[in-house]
Amino acid sequence: MRISLEINGEPHEGEVEPRTLLSDFIRHQAGLTGTKVGCEHGVCGACTVQLDGQPVRSCLMLAVQARGRSLRTVEGLARDGGQHPLQRAFHERHALQCGFCTAGFLMTLEPFLREHPDPSEEEIREALAGNLCRCTGYRGIVEAAGQAAREMRDG
Amino acid sequence: MTLVGRALPRREDALVLEGRARYLDDIDPTGGAHATFVRSPFAHARVGAVVAPGDAPGLVAVLTAESLRGRVRPLPFQVPDGVTAADEPHPILADGEVRYAGQPVAALIAESRPLAEDAAELVEVDYEPLEPVVDARAPGVDLVEFRRSGGDVERAFASAAHVVRGTYAMPRLVAAPMEPRGAIASEEDGLLTVWCSTQDSHRAVAHLAHSLDRPPESIRVIVPQVGGAFGSKGGAPAEAVAVAAAAIELGRPVKWAEDRLENFLAAYQGRGMEADVELAFDGDGRMLAVRARIRADVGAYLLQATAVPPHTAGMLMCGCYRLDAAEVEVVGRRTNRVPTGPYRGAGRPEAAYFMERAVDDAARELGIDPVELRRRNLIAEFPHTTPLGFTYDSGDFARCLDRALELVRPERSDDGERAVGTGVGLYVERAGGRFESAVAALQPGGRVLVRGSTSPHGQGHDTTFAQVAADRLGLEIADVAFEFGDSAVVPPGIGTFGSRSVAVGGAAVAEASDRLREACLAAAARVLGAEVSWDGGALVAADGRRLTLAELAEAEPGIGAEARFDSDLVFASGAYAAVVEIERAAGRMRVLRLAAVDDAGTIINPLLAEGQVLGGVAQGLGECLSEAATFDDEGQPTAANFADYSLLTAAELPPIETAFVESASPLNPLGAKGIGEGGAIGTPPAVANAVADALGHGVDPPFTEDRLWRAMRT
Repeated sequence: MRISLEINGEPHEGEVEPRTLLSDFIRHQAGLTGTKVGCEHGVCGACTVQLDGQPVRSCLMLAVQARGRSLRTVEGLARDGGQHPLQRAFHERHALQCGFCTAGFLMTLEPFLREHPDPSEEEIREALAGNLCRCTGYRGIVEAAGQAAREMRDG
Repeated sequence: MTLVGRALPRREDALVLEGRARYLDDIDPTGGAHATFVRSPFAHARVGAVVAPGDAPGLVAVLTAESLRGRVRPLPFQVPDGVTAADEPHPILADGEVRYAGQPVAALIAESRPLAEDAAELVEVDYEPLEPVVDARAPGVDLVEFRRSGGDVERAFASAAHVVRGTYAMPRLVAAPMEPRGAIASEEDGLLTVWCSTQDSHRAVAHLAHSLDRPPESIRVIVPQVGGAFGSKGGAPAEAVAVAAAAIELGRPVKWAEDRLENFLAAYQGRGMEADVELAFDGDGRMLAVRARIRADVGAYLLQATAVPPHTAGMLMCGCYRLDAAEVEVVGRRTNRVPTGPYRGAGRPEAAYFMERAVDDAARELGIDPVELRRRNLIAEFPHTTPLGFTYDSGDFARCLDRALELVRPERSDDGERAVGTGVGLYVERAGGRFESAVAALQPGGRVLVRGSTSPHGQGHDTTFAQVAADRLGLEIADVAFEFGDSAVVPPGIGTFGSRSVAVGGAAVAEASDRLREACLAAAARVLGAEVSWDGGALVAADGRRLTLAELAEAEPGIGAEARFDSDLVFASGAYAAVVEIERAAGRMRVLRLAAVDDAGTIINPLLAEGQVLGGVAQGLGECLSEAATFDDEGQPTAANFADYSLLTAAELPPIETAFVESASPLNPLGAKGIGEGGAIGTPPAVANAVADALGHGVDPPFTEDRLWRAMRT
């Protein structure tokens, strides 16, 4: 089946099987391998991308469901040549180790912080409860989210 | 300014944060085919005919034990000193028998992964189910045995005023790195290249050379970005050997990227040990001797390092205590479950848990405060050789304990609804040992390139080792580049596991850097015809003439140095403390706070070291709260996805205080020990002892509501 959609602001067309997962389409057809697949059953959150600005698990969707919609992946997070405040904060707070879960956390947090510009630590932890990280124990991620929120509010 | 000791964020982060890092499944070789595996649905069965589909869309090849005969050998396995092991290696593909659910039986190679998975559905396998062994405590076949004693154990127990006995168990656990395993193989002009999601290239080369019966020189292993391992990606798995055999046969690249279900079924698991521990005390609460019988559920076959955790657990059963005598007996029994192997701690958490639970039980029986009982028996002088023969090089156990108690703020109460208790868990862990190497070269332009033999999978080697090398050379961190993980370029080594990268690999980097500096001084002296001294990025003669490193590299190309660093084991240690609250009506346990104090010797980068501790604590807490690899009576895994095998989330982590005590190891130039495993070792005994303090008696993890509710009613 032929689908056309917008990926990171650019128009994109592709030929997919009806059964092709959105995650496989993003990684293996669109070639955007920054999105990771960690469990293929919607628990780990590594494959989180944004569809029309909302976080979705791309392993639980079919590619055809993204037809005509606007998709944003981790490759589209940096703007105007510079890293997003979340990316900078993740670096400064040591919020990543192996990095396999990182794209999912970033793509979950970005819309959360847009809707919750001044979140408490508890709200951040709840917002992240659908993303698994096996390396960091989450502290750096929670701190990075708070730091990025401040920067996004101030900037 | 000195770089060692500074909390620098990682310079390797940008690639990952921008989605540009290349993990195994991000690599798609041109013309590559894709592999999937047919896996046994039975825990134990005889395997008859394996009938492959004659034709299926996109199907390229089908591999079975029959078709691989004469081309592959079972995986190699390692037998630690003093261990007796049965000759039961893991076959590449099941040959006549399957011994665990998930064991690979056939490999399907097709033009795409979905087509390979479609074809796998068409394979017919003739299974004749056999009785599975599901209980490691039942009489059965022993695959691993280890016995050691030192001192007069009989006399110590005969003369003891008190003997305290207990039985303690740790469940099997799944390492569950976020990236599952995988391999891509390709052969060209007699060189087999294998990209493998593994902990280092050295062991993978050795395993592939053994199983494919070809010289290691004909194999290149490239470790791409690795999405976590925690011990579970040591060397090359059976699937990687099958993929390599397929690539050789087909003359085209073949890729296998494991999915989560396969990782739960077929990646080796950790822990799964139980111990009877006896402690002998004199009338003053002085610990005289320990006697331990450890039973390990090692699973169906011996993998490369299956025998290592039981051996390590046995050897560490003296813990942090002065003892006159010790005796351990370790038996690793075969079960029809996926084999076990190293998982973060690999025998160390088991030993610490068994010993620390036993000490708390002893304290209750003897009517002595558990902290006081520990203080009376802690080793205070180093080096200290235990009755079992390990020599602890350095430490300050009492100071770690003091710090942990200070940070955790002990608490105890019970109002009938909520019971609150505090527990401590001490540990000592073997780290380091054997050798690693490094090669440092001055490059055109004046930068230094170092190739190290250990390999990162999240720890931050690039930044940590650059801090070491730049300090030694008086350079900026940006002037030192590193390469890891490609067997075609890195020097020889053992690998990245067991908290050994900094103490051994980092020491090799330090020595290679020192030698490069000497080589640069000698070369500059030749160029300038005068004695020179080192001034950061430049070499200066007495008469004031200067040569920058860039100029030196141009005047005398090819300046380099290498170092191999050999070391005895070093022993990191620590004290953990936890406060827990148990809701009596529901059995619900909450960790209110936890303190982690680790003595890993000199800390190179406190930010990354704390990251290791916090990650280890989270895994240790997972073991306490929710994680257990469970199986039913047929040997079928009953927790083989992230819904049933539950990792902790950000919402479930309690406040954690960390601190370091830095007693430098005398055994390496950095004074380093190891920090990768402490959190996973110290957390379970601290939490378990806090639970026991709250309830008045001990329980084994995981501390689920069901288990605690029952424990309060027996």
